[in-house]
Amino acid sequence: MSHLLRRAVATGLALSLLAAAGCESAVDQQGQAGSGPSRGGTVRIVQGADVQPATLMSQNNPNFSLNRLVFNSLIQYDHKTLEPQPELASAWEVSPDGKTYTFTLRTGVKFHDGRAFTAADVVADLKIVQRPEVASQVKGIAKQIATMQAQGDDKVVITFKTALSNVLDLFLMMPVIDPDTADDLFAGRTFNGTGPFTVQKYTPGQGFQLKRNPNYWVKDRPYLDGVDISVVRDSQSMLSSLKSGQSQLALDLAPLDASTVKGDPAYKLIEADAHDSVSYVGYNVTVPLLSDKMVRQAISYAIDRKRILTQVLGNIGTTTSLPWAPSSPAYDQSKLDHYSHDVAKAKSMLQHAGAIGKPVNVYYDSGFGPNNGLAEIVQFDLTAAGLKPRLQPLQASDFLSRLRSGGFDGMFLTGHGFGQLNPATLLGGAFPFNFAKNASSFDNQQYKELAQKVWFIPGKPAKATLDQVNDFLLDQQFVSDLVTGSHTYAINSKLQGLSWTMLDYIDLDNAYLSK
Amino acid sequence: MLRYTLRRLPAAVIVLLVASLAIFFLLRLSSGDPAAVLAGPDAGEETVAAIRASLGLDQPLPVQYLIWLRGVLIGDLGDSYILHAPIAQLIGDSLLNTVELAAGALLLALVGGGLVGYLMGTVRNHHVRNFLGALTSLGVAVPTYVTGVLLVLLFAVTHRILPSGGVGPGLGDLEIGVQYLLMPAVTLSLPTGATIARFLAASMRHTLDQDFVQTGVAKGLRRRRLMTAHVIPNALPPVTTVLGIQIGQLLGGAIIVETIFAWPGIGQLLLQAVTGRDYLLTQDLLLIAVAVFIVVQIVTDVVDAAIDPRIRLERA
Repeated sequence: MSHLLRRAVATGLALSLLAAAGCESAVDQQGQAGSGPSRGGTVRIVQGADVQPATLMSQNNPNFSLNRLVFNSLIQYDHKTLEPQPELASAWEVSPDGKTYTFTLRTGVKFHDGRAFTAADVVADLKIVQRPEVASQVKGIAKQIATMQAQGDDKVVITFKTALSNVLDLFLMMPVIDPDTADDLFAGRTFNGTGPFTVQKYTPGQGFQLKRNPNYWVKDRPYLDGVDISVVRDSQSMLSSLKSGQSQLALDLAPLDASTVKGDPAYKLIEADAHDSVSYVGYNVTVPLLSDKMVRQAISYAIDRKRILTQVLGNIGTTTSLPWAPSSPAYDQSKLDHYSHDVAKAKSMLQHAGAIGKPVNVYYDSGFGPNNGLAEIVQFDLTAAGLKPRLQPLQASDFLSRLRSGGFDGMFLTGHGFGQLNPATLLGGAFPFNFAKNASSFDNQQYKELAQKVWFIPGKPAKATLDQVNDFLLDQQFVSDLVTGSHTYAINSKLQGLSWTMLDYIDLDNAYLSK
Repeated sequence: MLRYTLRRLPAAVIVLLVASLAIFFLLRLSSGDPAAVLAGPDAGEETVAAIRASLGLDQPLPVQYLIWLRGVLIGDLGDSYILHAPIAQLIGDSLLNTVELAAGALLLALVGGGLVGYLMGTVRNHHVRNFLGALTSLGVAVPTYVTGVLLVLLFAVTHRILPSGGVGPGLGDLEIGVQYLLMPAVTLSLPTGATIARFLAASMRHTLDQDFVQTGVAKGLRRRRLMTAHVIPNALPPVTTVLGIQIGQLLGGAIIVETIFAWPGIGQLLLQAVTGRDYLLTQDLLLIAVAVFIVVQIVTDVVDAAIDPRIRLERA
């Protein structure tokens, strides 16, 4: 028997070693580089959650990788000025009253299945955005369309019921999809776009294999032969994948994991300059304690934003009291530190409001790692200010349902985007700030009037109006913004030419793998 | 033996039915809404309501339960709310990966645990026995998320010998596939292997003390014959019983290992289904898990009875 055992063990070890030290390495198989800044190679992207095809018409974090690789929009934005740049639309005109937009479309663009892209596709896609079951933060803009008409194959004329300041955000955010296969797209069965890569294989829950689109409308692009998108749910495992050379891009590592690649020349940590990932505290203003704006202001003073930035978010971002990114016309640097950490002031305000010693529930999505640290700091700060906070961790789906239904009987911690686009899109499209119905159940006529003043005008809103909005948000504090952060791309330094859109969608048109 | 097996089936069906009721209604009692997940973070009420209706979630709960049960009975598991793919296909793909991982881990656990257990049970040198005892204690005590992360750090990040995660081409390219499998399988096998070793050692020591073994020795039986024909067969039943439980724990433990190694198995699928409140997928997965447990228990009982006729007679 012992002889048999010896033989079995020896055979097992030999097989293991043979496999591990075999002629071909599984590590080397991944992300093989092409030669220099030229063609070839496959980039492997790892991300924490699976792409959600049903939400491709909206901005949703898990779709940041796939969206711009497979689809295009009519326009893109300059990251600093928000000036629109041509993509599938080569030009556009706005009527003097600001109601009618005429887009001239790029010719020679084809969908991946070979069919030509035409003006009729744009009209059909807009109708898809208007459908009730299709999620989109710019649905409100699409619903303001009075008429739309395709003129020939390369012109679309769209007239709105009234002039709007953020019409172009709709055409930035709406990916151009093949309307004939839209339902199959939302069901994850067909991905027919005009983008630089075609979908070769989609395994739900696991990821995508993309292949270079040989008919891409940008000449001689992309350089890469393909892109693999893999779902790796654990941030540390994503980091291991990057550091082991198995992948070249890790999307949105947990901030503290991301900070570990800083300073290592083999990797780069890119913070997307849209700066549209803002951590905030929201309040259900129908809860008696939180209906008093002085209490909300006191809480805003009580929270140590700098500590959150350094200890939880790995110094990725800046502290803030307002929702806007630097690209926004509403961005006002002088007001960012309005709510600087001041425990004494917070305590005094709470005393004045008769709130000292009152309990308050603090809800958060505990599945998102940084939220746990954030919640602990908020708990510590509120206790120091004299409140009795009770942390209430929830799973993501539970958190989302309660957020939407106003089901929190206290405060809630989460994040929002859309501070980087036209201000009206945040005030009318981002749920925490939506003037019609928002996560805080904040129903205020003055806010509605202000938001409409920002939205229902041709062109950009006046600075004075935006100042009013900022002062109102700072005063009312139904949302207390804490830190303006960024989505991050941790990349292997061999990956060159990475770009991204104003919505943080990964753009690999000009990307290549250097030796 | 067939009658022995058949007598366990009615109870198994009742357990499955009760489990289906518990799974369905407990899941619906938990808060959360798949439509909210599908709609994304900024969608309005109108969008969420339209999605809820399209999923059939606006129907009364008993109707939803009966529709699900009917689907299960006719073999139509439906489509995942979140992943949109047919659930049968999702489970099939993931199950293959989990079976590959669990089989690899089980093989390692059986070989490693069997060898260490045999040595612990038979070696007389107390230093060796203490060392092996400490080793198995460590195997049981150290959680898989620690072992897994250490292995990744050592073999994937520090020395780029093995891939840090993902699943290989399987049987399509065995050489590559084994490299992907090695670290997760070793990680998953350690607690099971250590448990098998400890049970086998204890059982062998107990068997070696039995009179029939002393009789065998007195009769001049050769050691190999004594061990293979008498000691090991009599020492195995407690080990196979614990093995049945361990297989269940192996599948449960796979959730953590699959997460660490981004191994797209059933554990990952279940995690995604639960966190996304993908009701249909969660229900199907849990019901299948219950069914697997029942089958494993029946098989364990049958194997025990086959090895040891006394058990068959006791339970007859």
